[in-house]
Amino acid sequence: MKRNRSFIFLIMAGVFSLSLVSANGVKAEFPERPITLINPQAPGGANDALARPFAAVAEKYLGKPVVVVNKPGASGMIGNIAGAQAAPDGYTLTIGSTLMTIVMDWEVINGRKPEVYRNDYVSIGVLSVIPTVLSVPYGSSWKTLADAVREIKGKPSQYTFCSAGLLSPTHLGSERFVRAYGLKCRHVPYKGGGPALTALVGGHADFTTQFSLTSIPLARGNKLRILAVQAPARIKSIPDVPTFKETGMKVENGMWLGLVAPKNTPAPVVEKLREVTAKVTKDPTYVEAIRDLGEEVRSMDGNELAKYWDQESEEISKLLTQFAKEGLKINP
Amino acid sequence: MDAFIDLYNGFQNALTLHNIYLCFLGCLWGSMVGVLPGIGPLAGITLLIPATYGLDVTGAIIMLAGIYYGAMYGGSTTSILMNIPGESASVVTCLDGYRMTQKGRAGAALFIAAFGSWVGGTLSVLGVMLLAPVLANLATKFGPTEIFALLLVAFLLLGSLGTGSFLKTSAMVILGMLAGTVGMDTLTGVYRFTHGMRDLYDGLGFVPVAMGMFGIGEILSATEQSMVREVYRPRLRELLTNWEEFRASIGPILRGSGIGFFIGLLPGAAHILSSFVSYTVEKRLAKRPEEFGHGRIEGVAGPETANNAATGGAMVPFLSLGIPTTPAIAVIMVALLIHGVRPGPLFISENPKLFWSLIASMYLGNLILVALNLPLIGLFVSLLRVPFRILFPVVLFICLIGTYSINYSSFDLIILLGFGFLGYFFRKLEYDLAPFVLALIIGPLMEEAFRQSLMRSGGSPSIFWQSPIALGFFLIAGVLLGLNIMRGLKSGGRGEKEASSVGS
Repeated sequence: MKRNRSFIFLIMAGVFSLSLVSANGVKAEFPERPITLINPQAPGGANDALARPFAAVAEKYLGKPVVVVNKPGASGMIGNIAGAQAAPDGYTLTIGSTLMTIVMDWEVINGRKPEVYRNDYVSIGVLSVIPTVLSVPYGSSWKTLADAVREIKGKPSQYTFCSAGLLSPTHLGSERFVRAYGLKCRHVPYKGGGPALTALVGGHADFTTQFSLTSIPLARGNKLRILAVQAPARIKSIPDVPTFKETGMKVENGMWLGLVAPKNTPAPVVEKLREVTAKVTKDPTYVEAIRDLGEEVRSMDGNELAKYWDQESEEISKLLTQFAKEGLKINP
Repeated sequence: MDAFIDLYNGFQNALTLHNIYLCFLGCLWGSMVGVLPGIGPLAGITLLIPATYGLDVTGAIIMLAGIYYGAMYGGSTTSILMNIPGESASVVTCLDGYRMTQKGRAGAALFIAAFGSWVGGTLSVLGVMLLAPVLANLATKFGPTEIFALLLVAFLLLGSLGTGSFLKTSAMVILGMLAGTVGMDTLTGVYRFTHGMRDLYDGLGFVPVAMGMFGIGEILSATEQSMVREVYRPRLRELLTNWEEFRASIGPILRGSGIGFFIGLLPGAAHILSSFVSYTVEKRLAKRPEEFGHGRIEGVAGPETANNAATGGAMVPFLSLGIPTTPAIAVIMVALLIHGVRPGPLFISENPKLFWSLIASMYLGNLILVALNLPLIGLFVSLLRVPFRILFPVVLFICLIGTYSINYSSFDLIILLGFGFLGYFFRKLEYDLAPFVLALIIGPLMEEAFRQSLMRSGGSPSIFWQSPIALGFFLIAGVLLGLNIMRGLKSGGRGEKEASSVGS
């Protein structure tokens, strides 16, 4: 491991000195070579669904390709650490998201120091925020949110919800709903959103909260029914479905996906990346791609993200603290 | 007959020069990632996503799907020639495929693998075409309870995988299941046997373990033999499968198509499971099961057909529900999203042109693949003439690169080499490796399904007999168990006749 690291360091040093030479020689414009975007999650997830269209469009504004590299493992921490410890030159970016907040704050709440934390990155911008929606199987007798609440209240601990995994945003969505209404349900985690949705469609769970972009196509095909949206406003492609707020209780949940860079990245490079990200999120091709997912782009710039991230961390920490008090132990 | 008119239109779309070219490219690249150990369809597809940015959506999906089913063709090559699974679904092919090579029948094994792959692939496309919407609903009927019951049957079949004593096989199964418990328990978040090492949080990877035990173990034991191995020069006639072998393979190929397609529908490790179930079914049906593991062609034909048929099965929930059940398909879905196509239950009715072009291209792709692979058999077999002191270091190198390329993790290399040594020692002690490697897959899946069922029912075991599908599988499991006990009591007596009624 040690040798390996020093070897990488040597290579890095070599590459770095080369880039210094050119920086001194001619006033070179960033970027001079392709940018690596680390995706700390396995291929094929929501991260990829936004990062790949971003990468496809970003080349137009950067002049150099953006290469998405999946580095999954340890709930994303392997990729997160690789991203934070990369050379702070803007050539290695990481997909930051709510997943990052959860995995890091869980460590903090349990009195451990995560190897890298939010403040090890500088925010570049948010590609979009994907809300979660509360759904039931299509054949379910629950037609509205009120039905669901009444039924669950009548039979505490009798109903189950499924999620894409323990402490995933889809787990938090259901927990937020259940706790806000003072209900009691059992949780069955699955390995990923695909298996969780299959289980719901097949009636192996009573309800779930999953991302809008995976749930909406199934709702349109009459495979499940969306009862309420966990976003501040209704989703354009499903205008008939109310938000939680409209029904009286404000339950919001979702996942932002954005770009972050190592914290010591030079300010001009950060500026350039922020500018490009803002341009991409307004680019018709990108907007179109996201709209085809049944979604609108909810982007943020770097400063907004930094603020939003702190606020999200605070909210999630509250929920996670409750979990920890109730005896949930995820400790290595 | 509407389907055939649609298919005709699909062929018209797929058969443009542009699309044939892309289909060919996908199949070629798929075969290559299949042949190279470690690099599987997932990596192959992920690498090529940027190349699809500039293509139209039909071309993109034709090419990416080509990689996906193409990889299943190539996977058998190194399994048969060098005992190194080229792709995780080709682990069981090592058992009889490599023995056939040692007997000088490498060409026959490669031929039947390619032929079976073609039949399995083509039949499964037919299945997708005609049954996709119906089967998608069936696939969702398989909740944790049903999956547990199915896996229980698979688990009992594990016992028949060994060539040695029942005791030795059981020991390997238990060890494999134990190895499968390493990592974070996804249901409660408890970390097991990780010793605080982050690299172990996600458990032991299947590819490094399987490739280590089979591949590296094989390389290590090859060093024991004299450096000058008998150079084997096959004549053209010997490259092909003879009539007797071909006849013996027809049954396994047809059954493998059915098994593969069906298991492919289900989430989880469909490709690995399908090939393994096909192998054990063939072994149970065989007149002389004791010959399995010593180079029976049925042991190559069945599994290699099944893992190709599983690609079609796995396409069903994806195309008709928009739910990917394997990681490789999840990546294909992302590629479609980039092109603005959102798979879902309405995918086929809203994008008929795309769907039928894809189906047509899959028929075409399977033909391309078999045309691509058959001429290569001679070339692959002649690789065996390369002296081992040159071939094996190269293979070792490819194994290392392939493993590293999965997660860019140097820890995986340690696992690869560690399990390589373990595999070598097990081999010396005459323990079978396949039960270990498959228990590593089935064990955790079974545990997860069992506990998810109980979490759903609130701890009541009644959930297991409330589902008719699960009950059916339990019945099969009971019969299998009863047969095994009976056979045990007769101490090696003839129980095969009864066994043949089980698998059919």
